[in-house]
Amino acid sequence: MDSLLTSAVAGLSAGGAYAILGVCVVFTFRLVAVVNFTATALGAIGAFVMVFLTEAGYPLVPAVLTGLVAGTLASVVVGFVTTIWFSGANQTVKAAVTAAILVCLIALGLRFTGGQHPRAFPDLVGGAGLRLAGVTITTASLVSIALAVILTVAVEQFLARTRTGLQLRALSERPMAAELLGVPVRPLALGVWAASGAMTTIALMLIAPLRSPDFGSLSLLVVPAFAAALVGMFQSFRAALAGGILIGVIEGLASGFVELAQYRSAVPFLVILTVLMWSQRGARWDEAR
Amino acid sequence: MNSRKRATWFGLAAGAGLIAMSGTAFAAGPTCDGGTIKIGSVSTITGPVDFSAAPKAAAAYFDQLNEAGGINGCKIEYFMGDDRGDPLVATQTARDLIDNEKVVVMAGSASLLDCGVNAQLYQRSNVLDVPGLAVDPVCYTAPSVSGVAPGPYVLSTAMLYYASEELGNESICAFNYVIGGWKEAMEGAMAEWEQITGKKLTILDMTLPVQGDLTPYLIRARDEGCDAVFTNQVEPGIVQLINTADAQGIEGIDFVFLASGFTEGVATALKDSPQPIYVGTEWEPYTLENEANSGWRAMIEKAGITPSAFSQAGYLAGEVITSVISGIDGEVTNESVAQALRTMEPATFPIAAAPYLFGEGAMDGPMRATKVVKLDGGVWSVVTPDWLDLPSVN
Amino acid sequence: MKRDNLLAAFKTAALVAAVGGLCLVLLPNYWIFLVTAVFIIGMSLQSLGLVVGRSGMISLCQMSFAGVGAWTVGYLNLIGFPGGLIVWMLIGGLAALPFGLIIGIPALRLRGINLAIVTLGFAVAFGVVLGTITYPGQTTFQMVQRPAGFDSDRGYFILVLIVYGISAVALEVVSRSRLGASWLAVSHSERAAASLGVSVPLSKLSAFAISSFIAGVSGGLLAGYMGTLLADNFSMMQSLVLFAVAIMVGAQFPLGAILGGILVALFPELLRRLNLPQDLGSVIFGLGAVQALSTGETMSETFGRLIRKMMPKRPAAGGGDETALPAPRPDTGAPNALQASGITVRYGNVVALNNASLSVPKGKVVGLIGPNGAGKSTFVDAMTGYLPRYEGDVLFQGDNINALGVTQRARAGLRRTWQTTRMAPDLTVGQYVDLASGGGLTDAEIAAVLDWFDCPPAGELIAAVDSGARRLLDVAGVVAARPPVILLDEPAAGQSYAEAVMLGKRIAEIPQRFGSSVLLIEHDMDLVRTACSEVTVLDFGTVLAAGPTAEVLDMPVVKKAYMGIDFEHEEAAE
Repeated sequence: MDSLLTSAVAGLSAGGAYAILGVCVVFTFRLVAVVNFTATALGAIGAFVMVFLTEAGYPLVPAVLTGLVAGTLASVVVGFVTTIWFSGANQTVKAAVTAAILVCLIALGLRFTGGQHPRAFPDLVGGAGLRLAGVTITTASLVSIALAVILTVAVEQFLARTRTGLQLRALSERPMAAELLGVPVRPLALGVWAASGAMTTIALMLIAPLRSPDFGSLSLLVVPAFAAALVGMFQSFRAALAGGILIGVIEGLASGFVELAQYRSAVPFLVILTVLMWSQRGARWDEAR
Repeated sequence: MNSRKRATWFGLAAGAGLIAMSGTAFAAGPTCDGGTIKIGSVSTITGPVDFSAAPKAAAAYFDQLNEAGGINGCKIEYFMGDDRGDPLVATQTARDLIDNEKVVVMAGSASLLDCGVNAQLYQRSNVLDVPGLAVDPVCYTAPSVSGVAPGPYVLSTAMLYYASEELGNESICAFNYVIGGWKEAMEGAMAEWEQITGKKLTILDMTLPVQGDLTPYLIRARDEGCDAVFTNQVEPGIVQLINTADAQGIEGIDFVFLASGFTEGVATALKDSPQPIYVGTEWEPYTLENEANSGWRAMIEKAGITPSAFSQAGYLAGEVITSVISGIDGEVTNESVAQALRTMEPATFPIAAAPYLFGEGAMDGPMRATKVVKLDGGVWSVVTPDWLDLPSVN
Repeated sequence: MKRDNLLAAFKTAALVAAVGGLCLVLLPNYWIFLVTAVFIIGMSLQSLGLVVGRSGMISLCQMSFAGVGAWTVGYLNLIGFPGGLIVWMLIGGLAALPFGLIIGIPALRLRGINLAIVTLGFAVAFGVVLGTITYPGQTTFQMVQRPAGFDSDRGYFILVLIVYGISAVALEVVSRSRLGASWLAVSHSERAAASLGVSVPLSKLSAFAISSFIAGVSGGLLAGYMGTLLADNFSMMQSLVLFAVAIMVGAQFPLGAILGGILVALFPELLRRLNLPQDLGSVIFGLGAVQALSTGETMSETFGRLIRKMMPKRPAAGGGDETALPAPRPDTGAPNALQASGITVRYGNVVALNNASLSVPKGKVVGLIGPNGAGKSTFVDAMTGYLPRYEGDVLFQGDNINALGVTQRARAGLRRTWQTTRMAPDLTVGQYVDLASGGGLTDAEIAAVLDWFDCPPAGELIAAVDSGARRLLDVAGVVAARPPVILLDEPAAGQSYAEAVMLGKRIAEIPQRFGSSVLLIEHDMDLVRTACSEVTVLDFGTVLAAGPTAEVLDMPVVKKAYMGIDFEHEEAAE
């Protein structure tokens, strides 16, 4: 029992990372209706720009800011492609576009960051946050979780209460109608991409030191982020937040069972699937078509 | 081993003699149609990892050889194929080199999966493979492939042996990850250590997640009282593991890794870590400026290659294949090279601990020794000045 | 239709044979070796095209299915299972099939991106598991044995070509069948497909099952091709790349699958020839895919368009013969075709239908009219089972069918049309009618029904049909099924006056010609007068009046309710 609790708490560190990334993915999907396979790759670009600068001897703060700008810009570029070239395309085509861009970005990223050779990611908020069940929860993990919570609350309030929020919702649900109503579609969409790029970059800067510090692995963090978003059907920020932490905890728990062996990696997937199949038991038809 | 020193000297002398010989016009010796001998390689150069340092060093070795007149007047034409970490591309590349370029042998490759997908192609077309750096176990068991390194499996056993016998750790835990057919070989390596020492691993986890978070695993190692933690992770995984250990404030565990961790990248990334980090090397540690490394060092300095274990791999493969081809009497073809490799006497090279032999299965071949280096404040220092020999099971 | 099917299958077979023959004659061994991979990958793409292109579901785990097939072939090779690679390959396909069904089950409840991520999760988990299972025979150097006579490069190419050809022809035939039409219909609108009597779950599961079978076989082919395999062949990234390629080329078309195979299998060779780094391939692929996708059509559609431009246009198919109309189905003998009593429907606090009753006598056309929002379409939804709950009873030919679902009601013969048509644009007019009719009609009968309703010819693609004609087609499809009851939801909306009158005449003839009773919902009073013998008026969910058409339409209360606002305005103005 004790060791189970310990394993679960040990999973929190990953859970915080998945939660904030999951919330970022839902943010992009809710507001510009794109499932963004490149999300974490874009954040990784920003994080690696920061590392290159710190390795070149620049102080941390300007390096972080430059990285942030780089990640945001990269995100805006991908956003530009999906919103301008693919404004009329359906979800499947947009997903295919970001998947293709991901293949491209990983190849470029691995080349420019030196493949598997690790980078010395600086700890932005180093140190031990608190100790629970014999496990140190790092400040970075706590900050990730806190950021995810703040983001969830802030975005929910923003969407519900502000005029821009309303416009954004209109944009994602009926882009054509929104355009006809005079909503500034492109600037808003690019703004969403910029915001999600910046958030993902910050998240990756926090997460990277405790993950495999190579471009490929960091880019593929998009998979657990999607899994977290899936818990809320890509609609609910809170569910994505909870889902992310849940996945981390399940991963932690699964690590304690050697007998699960290679099937360990399938456990979070199965849990999510079960949750979804149950929560969607009433769903009968596709959207109003 | 007393004979090692003599063997080293012998190797040097042989190498020197070889270069001298190649210029002279003895009737007996290798001949080549068209003036060149074509040698190929399939390496993972782009894609998930960049192992290009090995084939690049092999290329530099052959360049140097060509400048000195080649082998008996035959110039080496060296092809660096890239498999992108994709099995289909690896097969295509090997086929291209064998069918279209008509290479006589493969040498100096460093790939994640070349042996696994191509060993049987090499066997069928009788073009043998002397990889520089070989990851998958097929490289060490296939009759058509025989690498120039002890390999990760022998080294795993050796490092566990080092942790238990030299560092004197009681409780040893191993966390391995398994991909691409490593399972049996990795389990074999763990079992061999248990047979040699008669001890048991406290934790043996064969399915570390490749992409996941390592915190729960380290916590488990700490809570079960492991004195030493071994993992077959490669560079980024090692950095992740140590960073996680630092974040958890773990103390008193020796971390023992394979040769893939022996890089400048790992040293820089972990320069501030207080954890004791030990890495086994496949050859003479590349950081040493000694006699054994002198030939290799001279070459990389001339060619402007960064020192690394990878470049040792390419250099050594070049050396091996050159000495084998030099011993051929007559036309150099894939058949004659294969014949020469299969019937060769064990040949000694200064950079390697043991003589090289193109074995039927080098897993139990002669290369069973390592030197261990430790990370001290961002610098690798050799902690075993003499080769640490891994005893046989019986 | 049937002849077209044979022709298309023959064309596909001939195309594959011609391409393969040319390769065999022209290419040296090494290139034959490369091109073999084109067809193997082409087969994986075909399987993906079926799910993504035809059924509209995103599958990001297609290579996992191929992995199951490949690993199965490895085991069978290792134990020396009798039958050789061809048998092993088929068993490999069958082994992949349950996995396809497992992935298909979430597809019944999850759609779009949610389903895509489930398949992505499966691909990741499967990749990890497969990575730990060494390919059977790899440690003992037992390559997968190719069948005797096909063991050389050229021999194996011929084998791959044959398998590819069989699968291409089979897919061509299946996709033109009612099953294939049901995939397109479900992908476009599940509700509409169900109203045609198509079982949505069965359609989705069959798509995944067939797709995973083909993917499994392609994995088996790959095993024979490479001799031994690694999990990297079937990783999540491979599936992701395959998905992007499939969308780019249009893998549901025979040409698209080959194009995609060429892109994946031959691009590395191009880079080798040009002495460029291999990762450039990924970069160019990414950029190229974005460019290709931004044109809004798949590469095979582009090619197809260019080829059609060069070909002379085929003359349109001739009109049908009225005498060829399909005969009515035998009568069951119940007096009322449809009887609804006390139907009440609530949406939260809003009562959409309040204790509404209505009957459709056999052999009659009756009308249901009322102002917008009166609850007419809700009534149709309740009758046909689209509402999760309603109060009251629906008796169909005397039997209470409250417990039946949409598809069951449609299959029993209670059919409807839609206010806004929901026909899959990728179907041809003929395919649609064939699907809607429930099968069993000859080409001549289909042509006759189409002609009777003045619909476009059977060969026309629905995408090319205007919305007015689509409504007629919707009606024609239902009528072709000759069910006991037809509910027509505003079929004349968007038609010209002349067309509407003509449609009215046709509708009036439906009971006698096809043996179906009709409930007609309309705003067009002339149409109602022409077609209906009786009429029921709904207002605010309540039945206001019912009876013979002329009488009811003259009742003041009906006039007020139906055109009430106008009256009041006129009165106020006076």
